[in-house]
Amino acid sequence: MLTEVTPRQRAPRGTGPLAGILPAVLIVWGFVGVYLLQLSLDRAGDSRMREKAIAEMAYFPSGRFVRQAAIEYQGLAADIVWLRGIQYYGYHLMSDRKYEWLGHVFSILTSLDPRFTGAYHFGAITLAWDADKPHEALDFLTTGMKANPMSWQVPFDAGFICYMVLRDYDRASTYFEVASKMPNAWFILARWAAIAKAKAGDFQTAREMWLDIFKSTENRKLKELVVRQLANLKLEEATARLQDAVQEFQEDKKRLPADSEEHPFYYELLGAGYIERVPDEPYGGRFYLKDGKVLTTTPPRQRE
Amino acid sequence: MIDRVYGVALNTFRESIRDKVLVTLIIFAVLVMGSARVIQPLAVGEEAKVIKDLGLSAITLFCVLISILVGGRIVYKEVEKRTIYIMLAKPVRRWEFILGKYLGLMAVLVVSLVVMTAAYYVILLIMGIGAQLYLLLAVLTTFFQLAILTAVAVLFSTFSTPITGAVFTFAVYFVGHLTRDLKLLAAMSPSPVVKVASYLLYYLLPNLSNFNIRAEVVYGAPLDPYAILLSGLYALVYTATLLLISATVFNRKEF
Repeated sequence: MLTEVTPRQRAPRGTGPLAGILPAVLIVWGFVGVYLLQLSLDRAGDSRMREKAIAEMAYFPSGRFVRQAAIEYQGLAADIVWLRGIQYYGYHLMSDRKYEWLGHVFSILTSLDPRFTGAYHFGAITLAWDADKPHEALDFLTTGMKANPMSWQVPFDAGFICYMVLRDYDRASTYFEVASKMPNAWFILARWAAIAKAKAGDFQTAREMWLDIFKSTENRKLKELVVRQLANLKLEEATARLQDAVQEFQEDKKRLPADSEEHPFYYELLGAGYIERVPDEPYGGRFYLKDGKVLTTTPPRQRE
Repeated sequence: MIDRVYGVALNTFRESIRDKVLVTLIIFAVLVMGSARVIQPLAVGEEAKVIKDLGLSAITLFCVLISILVGGRIVYKEVEKRTIYIMLAKPVRRWEFILGKYLGLMAVLVVSLVVMTAAYYVILLIMGIGAQLYLLLAVLTTFFQLAILTAVAVLFSTFSTPITGAVFTFAVYFVGHLTRDLKLLAAMSPSPVVKVASYLLYYLLPNLSNFNIRAEVVYGAPLDPYAILLSGLYALVYTATLLLISATVFNRKEF
């Protein structure tokens, strides 16, 4: 067959328009086109990302189903869900601060990998504070305690939520005690159990607890959450201190301190010796009085 | 030129249609969609959603398998059976051969998509769910995805064995659906090297999640026609670039 072919007819190797530098140039331009189109697609996709994220999460019927579908790759599937969960959390943190599917995502994750204690830790704290669902967070941690009976981290988180959010000091103390008896438990847990038992709900204790949480994790998102909570705590403390001083002033002088934008009320409190110094507003806002109540100009959304 | 490309494409189409793998996969896809009737009682209250999901996923999955399994050996088969010598002895340029092979395989995939979609709509009608034309948008974006994936399969077929080619193409398919995580990694990583590498891979690898609109279609969520148009353009440019690479690689091969 080959002998019938004349060299002129046959398309030889390495000749024609594909032989020189032209294909390389065209390929580079092709990838430049791909890059530009992907940029446009990313821009077009941002507006519908929320709907997409919700649909994606709703697409997982349950962790049990995903567990079966993942066959022997449950660990890998859990890692992918973890990345998706962080992405979902980060997106809502930067946009509407609504986390309706957060619990669902972490439930899928821990069904796939019940020993993923980092997921219980991060999931419970974000559920309790960011999503404002402390009871859902506790249910989630109860599942975690069943799956990880020897872990101190899970009962510790349950105690932390009981102490800080629910103000249920007895329950918090029980959880801290359980956690302190686990192998390799954090040495400060016994102290936390004692604090909870003494029902100490002051700002200093809360600050110390948050700082302990900060030191205990390598999770950047969790550290950011702690920083926000510390700023909130500072604001609450400053507001409470000013409120006490205003009340004291009112009882003594039978009037409220004068308050205006040019001369805020705390200068009169400072001058009369009701406060030692003007407390900082951690978000850069200004304290003002409204019907005897101390408020700040920082909008609540900025403080969440 | 068109006649030569058409000749190769027609030959590839005829050959592939006779392929047992193709017929088996189409039959399997129809069976999976038909099995919706069996699982219907288990989907308490969510029958319509489950059946729509199952059908669209089966269409995508089986077409992807056809693309990987048939596409992965499309050029290699010609070399192995030595029919490549007959082909190249004719006044067919090498890039025309690659383009013809690709278009022939795409024609097979279009036929498979049409058969499976028709079966899907028949099943939806039989189940009384209603055959909304809206669902066809998901089939259209699946076609865009197949265009890229087939080009990837043809590229690997020019220099690797069918099994290696299929494994590579499947890896591209898998990674192509996870590229969003590469972007996330790039955004979150403190290391500039990881950042640059992740962004480079994100834009270099085919982003197949651009074509996954199944969830939106099933939930009846609003879709952006501009984004669909852009994804079609993306598929076209990516496919053309891959075919150019395939033709260049094939042009430099010694037979």
